[in-house]
Amino acid sequence: MEERTQNLFKELLSSGSGKVGIAFIIALIIISLGVIIIYPPDFGLKYWSNPVLWADNPRAAPPAWTNLFSSYNQAETVIFETNIPTERIPGVSTTKVLYTFNLNHKADEPPSFISMTVGNIKYNNRPPVLIVNIERPDGNKIELYRLIVPGPLPNEVTPFARFSETPFRIQLSGNHEVVSAVSNFLKQEFDVSISNQDLLLSGVDIAVFGTPQDDGKFDVLMGVYKIQVDAFLYNEDDSIGSVKFVAGGSVHGFMGTDTLGRDLSIGLLFGFPVALFIGLVASSITTVIGTSLGIISGYIGGKTDTSIQRAADIFTNIPLLPILIFLSFIVGPNLFIIILILIIFSWPGLTILIRSMVLQIRSGQLVESSITLGASRLRIMLRHIFPQTAPFVFAQMIFFTPSAILAEAALSFLGLGDPSLPTWGQILEYGFRNGGIYVGYWWWILPPGILIVITAMTFVLIALGMEPIINPRLKRGH
Amino acid sequence: MKETRNRMIRLEDVKMYFQSRKGLFKTVEIKAIDGVSVEIDKGKTLALVGESGSGKTTLGRLTLRLLKPTAGHVFFEDLDITDLEEVHLKSFRRRAQAIFQDPYSSIDPFMNVHQIVEEPLIIHRIGKKKERNEMVHKALEDVRLTPTQEFSNKYPHMLSGGQRQRVGIARALILKPEYIVTDEPVSMIDASSRAEILHLMKNLQDKYRITVLYITHDIATAKYFADRIAVMYNGRIVEIGPPEKVVKEPIHPYTIKLLAAVPEPDPSNRFKERGVVEGEPPNPADIQWGCRFESRCQLQKEDNCKSKQPTLVQIKPEHYVACFLKDKDKS
Amino acid sequence: MKLLEVKNLKLYYQSTRGTVKAVDGISLDLAKSEALGIVGESGSGKTSLSLALMRVLPSNIDTNEGKVILDGKDITQLSEEEFRKEIRWNTISMVFQGAMNSLNPVLKVGHQIAEPMLLEKTVNKKEAYKKSEDLLEMVGLPKEIFNRYAHELSGGMKQRVMIASALILNPKLVILDEPTSALDVSIQAQIMNLLKRFKKELDISMIFITHDIALSSDLCDKLAVLYAGEIIEKGTAEQMFGKPKHPYTQLLLASIPGLKQDASPKFIPGAPPDLTSPPTGCRFHARCPYRFDPCDKKPPPAFKIEKDHLSRCWLNEGDKK
Repeated sequence: MEERTQNLFKELLSSGSGKVGIAFIIALIIISLGVIIIYPPDFGLKYWSNPVLWADNPRAAPPAWTNLFSSYNQAETVIFETNIPTERIPGVSTTKVLYTFNLNHKADEPPSFISMTVGNIKYNNRPPVLIVNIERPDGNKIELYRLIVPGPLPNEVTPFARFSETPFRIQLSGNHEVVSAVSNFLKQEFDVSISNQDLLLSGVDIAVFGTPQDDGKFDVLMGVYKIQVDAFLYNEDDSIGSVKFVAGGSVHGFMGTDTLGRDLSIGLLFGFPVALFIGLVASSITTVIGTSLGIISGYIGGKTDTSIQRAADIFTNIPLLPILIFLSFIVGPNLFIIILILIIFSWPGLTILIRSMVLQIRSGQLVESSITLGASRLRIMLRHIFPQTAPFVFAQMIFFTPSAILAEAALSFLGLGDPSLPTWGQILEYGFRNGGIYVGYWWWILPPGILIVITAMTFVLIALGMEPIINPRLKRGH
Repeated sequence: MKETRNRMIRLEDVKMYFQSRKGLFKTVEIKAIDGVSVEIDKGKTLALVGESGSGKTTLGRLTLRLLKPTAGHVFFEDLDITDLEEVHLKSFRRRAQAIFQDPYSSIDPFMNVHQIVEEPLIIHRIGKKKERNEMVHKALEDVRLTPTQEFSNKYPHMLSGGQRQRVGIARALILKPEYIVTDEPVSMIDASSRAEILHLMKNLQDKYRITVLYITHDIATAKYFADRIAVMYNGRIVEIGPPEKVVKEPIHPYTIKLLAAVPEPDPSNRFKERGVVEGEPPNPADIQWGCRFESRCQLQKEDNCKSKQPTLVQIKPEHYVACFLKDKDKS
Repeated sequence: MKLLEVKNLKLYYQSTRGTVKAVDGISLDLAKSEALGIVGESGSGKTSLSLALMRVLPSNIDTNEGKVILDGKDITQLSEEEFRKEIRWNTISMVFQGAMNSLNPVLKVGHQIAEPMLLEKTVNKKEAYKKSEDLLEMVGLPKEIFNRYAHELSGGMKQRVMIASALILNPKLVILDEPTSALDVSIQAQIMNLLKRFKKELDISMIFITHDIALSSDLCDKLAVLYAGEIIEKGTAEQMFGKPKHPYTQLLLASIPGLKQDASPKFIPGAPPDLTSPPTGCRFHARCPYRFDPCDKKPPPAFKIEKDHLSRCWLNEGDKK
């Protein structure tokens, strides 16, 4: 048996397609293993479907490296996050805790948004107050926002804890307090009047990060911006856990983001092990069922054969798609249901093929000699018939894997997939649904499609490389 | 009356009819074996000689119960194995084995020689690993596939046809069976190696006192290795007797023609045509009344030939013939 | 003048294990109305020889040398197109091994026999079909077999159809490669009778390839014994069967289980050599019971025993035996 496996690899590696296929599949496996180790198990529900986590990402932003190719400098997301204050100034009745962030803005456009997030605040008496200031490179300073931490409730006991489970996020760009402050600033400094509504619509960021011109437009002001978050604590034991300031960019990450701000590179990576899982599980179970039933059907014959063949006929003739739609309506979309359905509808094809092979093998002297020796039916099927079909079965399994992956992608694309899991099909579907094609979100639409094709191709290349083993007449001369 | 204790195999008026579909609605009955009674004594070799359509292979299968006869009985020693179910036949299978014609397809290409020869021991749960290894070693020595260690690890595709056939023989013998059916064991082996395999089989038969049914179309090899030759034609035995008698003094018209067709290495052969049986071999699906050979027989026929089936009648000591024209000369 | 002269024909082809020297320097000749028997076992190269003569070569040919002179003309010089038009099937035709399995199951056999004639384009359908029917009669089949399909015929009948098919263009030479190996001995005898008749009536030369040396005596005027790609002995039928000189020929004859003799048939121990690495010296020396000093060192040349009788064995040097 050793020799046969060795021969298999030798044959596989001798062909161009085999080599490429093996290289790709090794890459796929390594990436998938990496993802499995690094990602948490409930990634789908807890992270991907949790919009709060993605709040600080720009929406529908192309990948960060596109900046290299664009003529003008796009803003990249800058995140400042710390638990440790820059300065702590104790006082008589209040302790002032300062968080200072220096943002060096070099882009030709303003940030797409600014936000602040505070978490894990504890106090004993009076709730702390936080003030957010920004000092522009031209020296102007704007007090943007003032946050008073919610006071104690009637039955609460000290110490009072706020924002410990979920940090509190303020989208400064969309906050009406900030808008007023900016509007006043513009009036005072530049003598420009823009109503609050207009400012909200056009975006407060351009005003904060720009200088108004005569034509009513703003020029981006580049330079170092000093963001100051001053927290006033009224008790020594009061504390601020974490402070985070985000200046959103218009490009983000390695593969960009979708309309929910989700980092697509994270989602796409998750797709690797999922695709392999779907492909391999669906194809291996289908192969096991199809082969076993094919051998039993072909060898035992009679009523067993007839019933298995009729079952195969039934399943081949039931239309797959309507059943799936029906099931997802009843049970709800679920990855395991999809895999199960794929298996149920794929085994008949293999069974019918294997059965013909077995019928031919059965007429040979090998089976006759085994019966004469006294071998049981099970032994003949397992030990003598199955090995003769094994090369073909193995090739079928390899070939079926990309079919399963494509089927799942297609199903997800049609909206029948499991939306909580970022499979490639799902990402594609969401992209299309949000008009990705029309608006030109290429970084969202193209990568999942390309990855599906590459993965499918990998298996096809391996199957092609293995062909001479299945059909010895195709053996390549060495 | 022979001692029944000496008898290994006995067939009693065995018939084997197959149903074959002809067209959409018609089925035809193929009479592969149409009334055969024969015995084989222990330790003896019976050669079953015939051409295609004679039913010899079917008869061999019947004695191994690979088929159930349509009528008649098959006895193995005193045991009637005609209707036994497969489960009850397992102990019989230990005592009755076969060596097949095609050394390329009767052994599993996915198993090595050791595994192939060991398999019967595993099926019948004989011995532990160590004992089995010794038995395999001995079997390979018996068939002279030595050094046995070297051959044990080889796979069938690495062996010649003759070597593969020896593996088949080793496998058949490892259970020390009492009865072996061998169907054309050397027809797929080179002419110059055939005698070697046949000699080997004969020696092993003598050594282990095995009863052999040797099925072949080659009456010449049957002459050397059998204690009795039975000539079959279209499902019936037409002549049976000791080899020298059947070959040198054949009685049945078919036997005579069969022997005339065997080429001997004589350069004058090319100047004369052989007196052969004309026409085509019989189609076992055709309904036959009377003697099976009648349509191709060139002798002067009598009335019985067309209407009744001749039975085996003793003409000379140990020599029987089924022919209405010949059973008059009794000596 | 001889009909066919083959001089030092070589055919090597590539395999995964190396170069297979299937035909390694074969020379033979054949006159009109003569039958030459080529006797060899599996692995001797006999089928490769017939394919080489018909130029039906596999794609992995490594070497193809030698001269083939037919009716005085060197046909190895012909281009593929010329060979196809002038030689193949109309001058030399062939009955392949297992040919009856190459009949097209969906065409009537009569049409298949006539096909080469129709391709000639010089005859019309009616004439071609008439010739086909005549040939069927000649091979001993009733005319109505013309309309039958392959699966309706028995093995013997199919083989006769193949013989008829080989005769359709009135060839001068027919090569028959194991034409009776799959047939019962009675049918074999019928076919041999048929071939004997043809040799006499049709003036055809035949090359009869077989592993059964006894069978070759049924038809052949001359005999050549092939071993490991070489002819180790050749001569007339009388010489070869009467006083064979090469040990292999002698052992082959002794291995036939004869009906008339009482001695047990002999066998030749060992197996034919691997054609990718033929043994040094005489190719048969490893299995030869008479081997002596020069046998494993130098390959013996073909020694002349008598006129037309050659044997490639060191024992025949100066005809010691």
